[in-house]
Amino acid sequence: MKRKYSIFSILKNAISGHENWQKMWRSPEPKKSYDAVIIGGGGHGLGTAYYLAKEHGLTNIAVIEKGWLGGGNTGRNTTIIRSNYLWDESAGLYEHSLKLWETLTQELNYNVMFSQRGVMNLAHNEHDIKEIKRRVSANTLNGIDSKWVSKEEIQKIVPIMNTDNLRYPVLGASFQPRGGVARHDTVAWGFAMRADEMGVDIIQNCEAHKILIENGKTIGVETSKGIIKSKKIGIVASGHTSILAETAGIRLPLQSKPLQALVSEPIKPVINTVVMSNAIHAYVSQSDKGELVIGAGTDGYNSFTQRGGFDVIEDTIRAMVELYPCFGKMKMLRQWGGIVDICPDASPIISKCDIEGLYFNCGWGTGGFKATPGSANVFAHTVAKDEPHAINAAFNLDRFVTGKLVDEHGAAAVAH
Amino acid sequence: MLIINCPYCGPRDQCEFTNGGEAHVTRPKNPENISDQMWAEYVFFRSNPKGIYYERWVHSHGCKKWFNSVRDTSTDEIIKVYKIIDKKPLPKEFKNKIKTPSGEPKVGSGNFTVKK
Amino acid sequence: MQSKDNKNSSFILFHQSINFFFDGVKYKGFKGDTIASALIRNNINFVGRSFKYHRPRGIYTCGIEEPNALVQIISEYGEPNTRATIKEIYEGMEVESQNRWPSLDYDFGSINSLLSPLFTAGFYNKTFMRPRGFWKKVYEPIIRKAAGLGKPPQPYRTKSTHFHHHVDVAIVGGGLSALLALKSFIGSEYQVLLIEKDSNLGGILNNSNKISKIFGKESSLWLKETLEEISTSSNIKILTNTLVTNYNYINHLIAIEDLVVGTKPLENIPDQVLHKIRADQVILANGHIERLISFRNNDLPGVMLASSFEKYIERYGVIPDVNPVIFSNNSSTLSLLKTLVDLSCKPQAYIDSRPGNKLEKDLLNVIHENNIPLFTNAKIEGCQGKKKIEEVSVRDSKGNITKIKTNKLCISGGLNPDVHLFTQSKGVLIWDDQYLTFKPDTPFQNTIVIGSAGGIFNYGDLGKDIDKKLKFLNLKQLGKIEFDLIESNDFFIEKLWEVKHEKKSPWSKSFIDLQNDVTTNDLRQGIKEGFDRIEHLKRFTTNSMGTDQGKISSINALGIVSEILKKKISEVGTTIYRPPYAPLSFSSIAGRNTYEFYDPERKTPIHEWHKKNGAVFEDVGQWKRPWYFESKPDESFEEAVQRESLHVRKYAGVLDGSTLGKIEIKGRDALEFMNLIYTNSFSKMKPMTARYALMLKEDGMVMDDGIVSKISNEHFIATTTTGGAANVLSHMEEFAQTEWPHLNVYLNSVTEQFCTFNISGPNSRSILKKVFKDINFDNQNFPFMTFGNYKYIDSKINILRASFTGEIGYEIYVSPSMALALWEDLFRFGEDHGLIAYGTETMHLLRAEKGYIIVGQDTDGSVTPYDLGLEWMIGKNKEDFIGKRSLSRPDTIRNDRKQLVGVIPTDKKNIIEEGQHIILSRNYKPPIKMLGHVTSSYMSPNLNHSFGMAVIQDGKKLINSKAYISSSKGESFEVEIIKPIFFDKNNERLMS
Repeated sequence: MKRKYSIFSILKNAISGHENWQKMWRSPEPKKSYDAVIIGGGGHGLGTAYYLAKEHGLTNIAVIEKGWLGGGNTGRNTTIIRSNYLWDESAGLYEHSLKLWETLTQELNYNVMFSQRGVMNLAHNEHDIKEIKRRVSANTLNGIDSKWVSKEEIQKIVPIMNTDNLRYPVLGASFQPRGGVARHDTVAWGFAMRADEMGVDIIQNCEAHKILIENGKTIGVETSKGIIKSKKIGIVASGHTSILAETAGIRLPLQSKPLQALVSEPIKPVINTVVMSNAIHAYVSQSDKGELVIGAGTDGYNSFTQRGGFDVIEDTIRAMVELYPCFGKMKMLRQWGGIVDICPDASPIISKCDIEGLYFNCGWGTGGFKATPGSANVFAHTVAKDEPHAINAAFNLDRFVTGKLVDEHGAAAVAH
Repeated sequence: MLIINCPYCGPRDQCEFTNGGEAHVTRPKNPENISDQMWAEYVFFRSNPKGIYYERWVHSHGCKKWFNSVRDTSTDEIIKVYKIIDKKPLPKEFKNKIKTPSGEPKVGSGNFTVKK
Repeated sequence: MQSKDNKNSSFILFHQSINFFFDGVKYKGFKGDTIASALIRNNINFVGRSFKYHRPRGIYTCGIEEPNALVQIISEYGEPNTRATIKEIYEGMEVESQNRWPSLDYDFGSINSLLSPLFTAGFYNKTFMRPRGFWKKVYEPIIRKAAGLGKPPQPYRTKSTHFHHHVDVAIVGGGLSALLALKSFIGSEYQVLLIEKDSNLGGILNNSNKISKIFGKESSLWLKETLEEISTSSNIKILTNTLVTNYNYINHLIAIEDLVVGTKPLENIPDQVLHKIRADQVILANGHIERLISFRNNDLPGVMLASSFEKYIERYGVIPDVNPVIFSNNSSTLSLLKTLVDLSCKPQAYIDSRPGNKLEKDLLNVIHENNIPLFTNAKIEGCQGKKKIEEVSVRDSKGNITKIKTNKLCISGGLNPDVHLFTQSKGVLIWDDQYLTFKPDTPFQNTIVIGSAGGIFNYGDLGKDIDKKLKFLNLKQLGKIEFDLIESNDFFIEKLWEVKHEKKSPWSKSFIDLQNDVTTNDLRQGIKEGFDRIEHLKRFTTNSMGTDQGKISSINALGIVSEILKKKISEVGTTIYRPPYAPLSFSSIAGRNTYEFYDPERKTPIHEWHKKNGAVFEDVGQWKRPWYFESKPDESFEEAVQRESLHVRKYAGVLDGSTLGKIEIKGRDALEFMNLIYTNSFSKMKPMTARYALMLKEDGMVMDDGIVSKISNEHFIATTTTGGAANVLSHMEEFAQTEWPHLNVYLNSVTEQFCTFNISGPNSRSILKKVFKDINFDNQNFPFMTFGNYKYIDSKINILRASFTGEIGYEIYVSPSMALALWEDLFRFGEDHGLIAYGTETMHLLRAEKGYIIVGQDTDGSVTPYDLGLEWMIGKNKEDFIGKRSLSRPDTIRNDRKQLVGVIPTDKKNIIEEGQHIILSRNYKPPIKMLGHVTSSYMSPNLNHSFGMAVIQDGKKLINSKAYISSSKGESFEVEIIKPIFFDKNNERLMS
């Protein structure tokens, strides 16, 4: 039954003492077989199931999740959404996603709190300026709202920023007004609810152990809840994707590394846009609750522990107080880590492989959240049609052999 | 933060070191004679196991020496450290605490907080 | 009723009164008071408004676990969200309540409380969806304004200090069990560090009267003697006012020390120290936390945890209320009751949810002797009042309600070992059926948990337990400790998480998370909506996500959930505890490495000369490099660069190139190594010659470039880009050590061993002839790309004939100690020849006129040597070098890759901008197909028009054709695509 949310549904439930709310999703036991199985119940996986059901009519499908829905990187990231990527391929993918974000609340009838407060990327040296101006030009020609803003304009948008009195002064920035942040959990929950409504089985606490292959074809997956048969399997398990791929004999060029984030105590509104600085590594936005949401860097080694070194936190915080002197008296409330799967070219893999019926959506590195609806949408297409959507064609697995990479490390940080 | 026992300097904080990725990946002897696929394997493809992992470190803010270690990536325990010229220790020397490919060790992963 | 001083407390200096301000009103407290204890002394209980409903909130606890009493310290840069329960007052301190407007009493936001039946969990997700644009413009700004607690603080740039400790044993906590453990370390071989958050050691001995005697001595006397004994032991160090917040991997603790307890911090003097502790063994003795019970209006000002009430009496010398009501489900409240009657305060009633026949004898004795009304098998069903409790309702086992007028209600829902740090260390908990709580079970690291932190609530077991756990360290045994207790040794608790409401009203609420306004009904609703996993429920309801992280309520939430789900609590599990244990200030984490210490500034020995001569610097990595020189005060950047560029081509200029990376490569196999590292072949190169050289990554993309000078087959010197120096050396080291350890080769960075001056321009030779009279600089004798070793005064120097400007030029390598002297000599002799100093921008402009690339500007990690037209740099006969194989992959052998070209505007008035894109048509309606981008562009004073270098698709084929280029103005203009060389195409000036 379709769950309809509005102020009226809340009023109705308030009158009945909130006793009659429906479950957002069922907790079914797995069936013996499905038309497709998606491994990974994060935003990308649940979204894939949603679009498979909605746009491709595949409803006899399951999403299996080792832990709980949205418990991985979906629930651990700093929720920055933007599409101002350099290369046409990336711009196409992330802009596709951004457009879906813009209507996702209405599409799901669930408020994902997408707040288009703008995303700013700061330049701290001549090299940054060159790189950012190039990106702004490419974005403009690709039809993506992106502009260069001067130091004076930055000061107007973010009055608390210290632009001059710091080791690497702020020289300017790119600004994408349509970028912003969203409430991470609700994306997973919204997709889950609507997928469930269309008949998708969402199976939590069901760990995939082994992809089952016969004669080069996918036949199912062995899980902690038994064998589930399916001729199509999409693996969307971020840091664990390469481990599952290995069980099918497929090697992926992924490395899983810790990425940490933190929030401060909540305060009244102090910063009304998202500010990112690659050069001194400080990403910040303020949540609707009032917490400063701050992204730290990756640790330089592989790990599945979902934790990183305190030195990384230190580096980030000192950049924060450097840029925002009034944050000196703020306090860190919580810090945590996630596992990010990084590709050699810092671009994702949304691809088929040599095994029939086996598909991958991984390698999102530190930037997967923003792509959630777009990635899910084109991955659903890839799984349903057994061929990539035009938007994800470039993000194939072959590119590491042919050399046709989509290098989004940006202009390599080499100065002369 | 990890403590890494540099075989030349002794135990030091991890921030003195830089990780060098998977160990025992040998550069092909005759790159011109191998396939694009094989070359790509060498350039881009690295193992990414959960559990026992052979990796390289360089004591970049120290003696600048490269060396190898064996670490459990599910708990970050460093089990063995050895020099580049040393033989690769066999996997059977180390006990993999993980029961399923993507599973968590019962203690140390942080994903189990409660004993059932 | 009123609060009353307890002058018996030795921690408060009653003779030293202190004035402070709360919401602008002056109050008096005493030295040693926290903000909370001082406010209680002044009968102020209502101190803040809650997060969501803006309900009145009072002081709930007496410590770090406080969910309600968060205040803003105006006199300390407006520090928000400070716990009033731990921050000590000082003379003149200004404190404000939070989250209210315009005032605490009349808060506009309290309208939310009226609407509270709507504002249940998930409210925001289900509303504010239409119309679409309203979220950004209308709904979100209102929501954001209402949310948040304190106001943003003022700028604060004081650096804190970081302190490192490496010890054998770190003991976290300084209470009874910690001191007992510490006693056994006296005189031992172990270096021990004890960290206590309070300013006094003793914990329970100071905070309650549970223990009256130890070994027959008054407990305060025992404490004093113990501390004296400990202070004689040189292996023991104690940090007080220090809170351990993080327990990281390999027993790495982070602790924060407050340096200004009870005094106003001085400007620019750090108020905190961050301690980083590594210990072989960590002993957690960080005690326990009392939990609440949920009932209707359990958030009203006046409700307080029972042990906190007792702590105010004992530790802070104030009885918060002389006639409170006590409500408990366990035996721990006996000591509070006893304390009160000893101070001639008679509780109005004692309500115990346990059956009367199971109550402790001691408890019943006190109650009967003092005629205290007792309700057994009874529960507080709720309390009434607006901004404070006026009345409580007691429901007995038969359902009868008794109403009691009171302003204070002390509650105890049981005790939880403080397991936060233990779980941070990745240890695993286990459910304890007797104490109804989680306690540490299996540690992951070298962790020992003692005392109540380890679930040992029975004092009689304490000594034995510590002995057992520390046995492996071979310490003195404590043996059995003899206690005289006002406490039952058989702790007895009855399960009670929540008391059901009597009144069914959409407005009545019983809270589980006070700070985040989460009610027990929110938990129910969450589970109804399918959030039946504890992590989901946490996120859906925001339970335990406040600044207190649910310290007094998280176990209750698990209890309630387990009952709804009919599961065991251990099956429900806990959420993962996130560090830090309590909020940790940003300035303390940042430490000293900020502002002038953020990143070192690297300067060349000529830096001061540059400054004196009008240099404007740019940051290149850590280096400060002259970007251009102002010849007169009002000269603009553009004017200066045009002037410098013209001048160098006409006369001569010198660039301080000391920042270039320099690497020395030596060893028997140096030649073989160099041939593998670079694309070029160095085999046939003659000694004492140099070569422009290119380095690729294994993926075939250009990584760095520079000049390689060959001294012999066993000795080379390579220069690198300024920013690439460190990377190139590590890259070389990596291959030398890991791939080719059989090669005999040694690498050494000599960047700082030499200063480099690049002198170029038609007059450069004449100038050098004057400076170095003995050297023959004639073209035949000193041809392009050769070098020699010479002397300058007493110092060895190298001179290499090379040029990055296209003019005749030389690079002089001189030791830093002689560098300034030589630089000044150049100018002394060069003055007549028009020598000027020029900056990096002119260098960039001049090299671009010649079409020389800059790695990182004209390349971006996706460019091969072929793309740059540098195929001549690839050693044709070499079997292998790094990146070679990648150049023959399907994508790298394509003819239509992006390739380097030159672009000039057809209409010379147009300016080509860097970063703009080459497009095929004048049409400017996105999306527009881009061929590639302009990597470098300058206004050339030598050509008198703008020009650029660009990397464009199929560029080589497009040479001599026309295309368009975008501009930042949003229009395009026509450009000619030409070969990427614009000036002196036959290199006549270079070779002259």
